Amino acid sequence: MDITLLLMAFFSSIGLVFAYLAVVERDLVKAIIFSAVQSSAYAAMLYLLRAPDIVLVYLPVAVGLYPAALLFLVGKTEKEDGE
Amino acid sequence: MSTSTLEVFLLVLTLYSLLATAGVSIYGIVARPSIAKKIISLTILGDALNVLAIFIGFRVYSVPPVLLGFDADVDLMEFARTAVDPLPQALVLTAIVIGLAVNLFLVFLALQVYRLYGTLDTRRTRELRG
Amino acid sequence: MRRHIVLVSIVLSVSALAYATTYLGALGPLGFDTRLLAKLFLVYAYNPGAPELTVMSPEAVTSIVWDFRGVDTLYETVVFYMAIVAALAIYRGIGYSSSGVRGAGLSLIVRVVTKILIPMNVAIAVSIAAHGHLTPGGGFQAGAALAVVSVLLAVVFSALSFGKLGVSLARAVALRSAGLLTIAAVVLAPVAFGVATGIRGFLMQNYVKLDSPLAFPTHVSGQLISGTLIWLNLAEFFAVSFGFFVIFMLLSLREDVVREQLGEEHEH
Repeated sequence: MDITLLLMAFFSSIGLVFAYLAVVERDLVKAIIFSAVQSSAYAAMLYLLRAPDIVLVYLPVAVGLYPAALLFLVGKTEKEDGE
Repeated sequence: MSTSTLEVFLLVLTLYSLLATAGVSIYGIVARPSIAKKIISLTILGDALNVLAIFIGFRVYSVPPVLLGFDADVDLMEFARTAVDPLPQALVLTAIVIGLAVNLFLVFLALQVYRLYGTLDTRRTRELRG
Repeated sequence: MRRHIVLVSIVLSVSALAYATTYLGALGPLGFDTRLLAKLFLVYAYNPGAPELTVMSPEAVTSIVWDFRGVDTLYETVVFYMAIVAALAIYRGIGYSSSGVRGAGLSLIVRVVTKILIPMNVAIAVSIAAHGHLTPGGGFQAGAALAVVSVLLAVVFSALSFGKLGVSLARAVALRSAGLLTIAAVVLAPVAFGVATGIRGFLMQNYVKLDSPLAFPTHVSGQLISGTLIWLNLAEFFAVSFGFFVIFMLLSLREDVVREQLGEEHEH
């Protein structure tokens, strides 16, 4: 029994939970942080999936650049997801 | 190679988690009013589908598709038998960078929408257009 | 509260579906066999025994990205190029002057730590690009790693620091274009050489083919450089990283200055 599979199922579940939280959260800054947590879980998952190339490109993009760009956007516009 | 039912269960659980994440993010793109939230959901959808593509190329008990010790006399057939599928990885590699560039363009478009309409709420921009 | 119920029900239904497919056998075997196509790519990525089929790079992913399916990557680079051109078109006519940037950045401690981190980040990015044909890495990964520097500069030192480092908007666009032109030069070189010498050469040719003896050098003083791969990786590194530099320089501009320069129609 390979521990990889257990960790993979665990990280993908974390990704699912935080993706849901990011989608329903009304405060956009919090939503971006939830989305970054989901991305970190997926980065760990990609490592377990034997894809070191993708980890190298995915970590800076999804944990660094996406949140930065979205925080710039939110900082210049609205902080709330309307209702 | 013999496979235990628990291994298959964990693989299937991972598969459905990825699909459910894609579903949740599609809900975010369609149903949430804020354009910023739509972009966040779009990045999550991209992530989930990219990981799903890699997952399809994955094999249990495998090594990364990088040949180590290539100067020595290595057994290429053994490497091909144990490594994961490199093709989805190559496709996803470019897809992530292109996806980032396109999503950053969407961020610029959202900024422009805010400059012109004063809001990112799609229900209000729809009223303002007429 | 309603939110938690939805979340728990999503997680439970995923687990139930997974349980059902596993123990009731809805799906066939998953993740246990390698496809024939994957085996071909893995065997011929580095195979000096089959010179007309190999890429001469032990890194199978980079081999696919820049040789086996190199034209795909070329077109994706074009898409990337167009996305950045589109972003620049929205900001047309905006000068990147010191009046467009904001205050002094973050506190002294953060700035000193970032000053130490940025050279390390640049070194890692160059290393990832230059070793892309040997170890996991390549132009796209290195470009994404260096793009983080532009975010650090914009957030920690304020957007003014781009000017201090000599990275103007025009210069970043020029460096990105230089990367793209290098890719075009490497792609066209075998054809041009073939026309000049009368030998047959193909677009994006890396190593010898059955009907063409042309090949980029695979070794330089004993070091494996895998022909075109190292040049394409380095060129893509420039194109990607400075493309993102352009984007984050524009994003860090102050909103009121941008509005003023875009004109009256943008006031609301």
